[in-house]
Amino acid sequence: MAAFTQTVRSAFTKVPRWVYLTAAWVLAALFPVLNALDLVQTAWIRVGVLSLLFALLALGLNIIMGETGLLNLGYIAFFAFGAYTTALLSSPKFDLHWPFAALIVVSALVAMLGGFLIGLPTLRLRGDYLAIVTLAFGEIVRLTIVNVPTLTNGPNGITGIDFLKPLGPGVTARLQSAGLPQAVSNLLTIDKPTEYYYLVLVCVALGALLLSNLKNSRVGRAWNALREDELAAVSSGITASRMKLLSVLLSSAIAGFAGSLYAYYSNVISPESFIFMQSVIVVCMVVLGGMGSIPGVILGAIVLQALPQVIRESAGAARSEFEVYRMLVFGVIIVAMVVLRPEGLLPDKLWRGQAHEADPRELERTRQTLFDLEEGEQDLEA
Amino acid sequence: METILNLDGVSMSFGGLKAVDDLTFDVTRNEIVSIIGPNGSGKTTTFNVISGLYEPDSGDILLKGESVAGLRPDQVHDKGIARTFQSLRLFSNMSVLDNVLVGMHSNSKSGLVASMLRLPSVRREEAAMRARAQEILSMFPGRFSGPRQSQAAGSLSYANRRRLEIARALASDPVLLLLDEPVAGMNPMESHELMEQICDLRDAGYTILMIEHDMHVVEGVSDRVIAMDHGVKIAEGTYEQVANDPLVVEAYLGKRSAHTAS
Repeated sequence: MAAFTQTVRSAFTKVPRWVYLTAAWVLAALFPVLNALDLVQTAWIRVGVLSLLFALLALGLNIIMGETGLLNLGYIAFFAFGAYTTALLSSPKFDLHWPFAALIVVSALVAMLGGFLIGLPTLRLRGDYLAIVTLAFGEIVRLTIVNVPTLTNGPNGITGIDFLKPLGPGVTARLQSAGLPQAVSNLLTIDKPTEYYYLVLVCVALGALLLSNLKNSRVGRAWNALREDELAAVSSGITASRMKLLSVLLSSAIAGFAGSLYAYYSNVISPESFIFMQSVIVVCMVVLGGMGSIPGVILGAIVLQALPQVIRESAGAARSEFEVYRMLVFGVIIVAMVVLRPEGLLPDKLWRGQAHEADPRELERTRQTLFDLEEGEQDLEA
Repeated sequence: METILNLDGVSMSFGGLKAVDDLTFDVTRNEIVSIIGPNGSGKTTTFNVISGLYEPDSGDILLKGESVAGLRPDQVHDKGIARTFQSLRLFSNMSVLDNVLVGMHSNSKSGLVASMLRLPSVRREEAAMRARAQEILSMFPGRFSGPRQSQAAGSLSYANRRRLEIARALASDPVLLLLDEPVAGMNPMESHELMEQICDLRDAGYTILMIEHDMHVVEGVSDRVIAMDHGVKIAEGTYEQVANDPLVVEAYLGKRSAHTAS
């Protein structure tokens, strides 16, 4: 039996990593085809869009949490900045209808400004203190949204957000009046779940590519060094405050970007989408996926976002009674994952094993082996 | 000879305790200077003051005539002072190679956006850094070869971790290298090997200030020895001069009683 599992495992590890990654992307790209073939309900495409939006959000949080090692329990606030910026500037609320290209940038910039404001005073803090301050920040942002109805409509939220027109409303209208075929002109407005699915999928793929470039660069290594040992990092010439601020700014910009897409997609936004629990869930996505691992974080987001839906669907006929216990099952699954696989679903390769509680006897044995090896080497040299 | 480091009346106290008291000494180019002294005599505090972790209460620290007192540790590193730590401070979850590459942070300049897009300039810089890292790691023949470079630094043996810390400090081509107990915890054979490598570094043009307890190593490598006790410099000179200095003997062994003295 053990030999069998060994064989299976080695067969899996023999396949190069890029094969798995390509397969995953191809599968993700083919998912809406199942819907077109009527094999999957449109509701699942919607779950897919939200999962990918949260994957984008988790990628952003991973920069600050996984790479730089700073816990942020108010991350959803930056998502809210992006969503509200887009909603206010492209809805009947103030009768503003800015084009998509401008809004996506402005939303990211507004979130970055929020990141700058909270980042500057908190960069000296670490661990528990940072957690408390970011948690408070997230709640302050949400409560402000609720209590400033003249700007945000308070708890009612903002409705009637414009359709997403990548070329902007003016150009789109002109092209449509120029007599484009219906099929082409439909593509100029992104409003169907499948269209959103591909838009967000491209964003996640681009984000993953850019961030993995960054991970293996001077900046990424500086962040990792700060996470591992700040004292040694600054003694190696890394300016802690600057690099940390850079990390906060980038991660909040990504959240703002994702928030903007979310506002377009959901058409209606309200403060209850940005509660503390959402921040916690994004943190869970990063931790369960595997801190610092880009494929892991994306998988973590998809699993955690889709899991509640899967649980509900699998209850079948008993759905309505089961609804009550849905979050309970969700919780049990999370606890089980943390106990059985604390390093995450797809961990960063160097972190493997670090998360597990080390058996002191095992450690001693490893140390002895290493020592013997070294001795042997020296004897050979001598 | 050109003076590299110059400490001028440096004092540092914590509350009522004077950890370093009016300390003055020089280090000249291409020299290995060792600081010795019993535990708590202010050796590591001296290192922390030089490397910018503490700001001295009074006095000045000059690197090639330029004051570095009161600068942040990263600024001091930029000026050319790199150090190792007595209690190993490696980036345990990063690979051996990445640890060395972090040491080159101040010698490289790729920014956030350029790195994300992996522009040609970034690739060139990265390739040059990796080549240099290989050169540095090869100073410890056989220790960091091949697959070991992609291992987590935390999985290395104790002696190799000490070697990797030195490699990381060397990565920035420092003007002055501070080594805090480089052979602590090594067996005699390993410490002898490292001793020879430290001498090689001097021959390669580095200037080294070192804290060491192992007198065999201190004797073997030092051009000059400084002895400290209770934050004060009590002796300075060649190893023989310092080792036979009555104040140094007293600091290590205690005062000779009146009975045995007579």
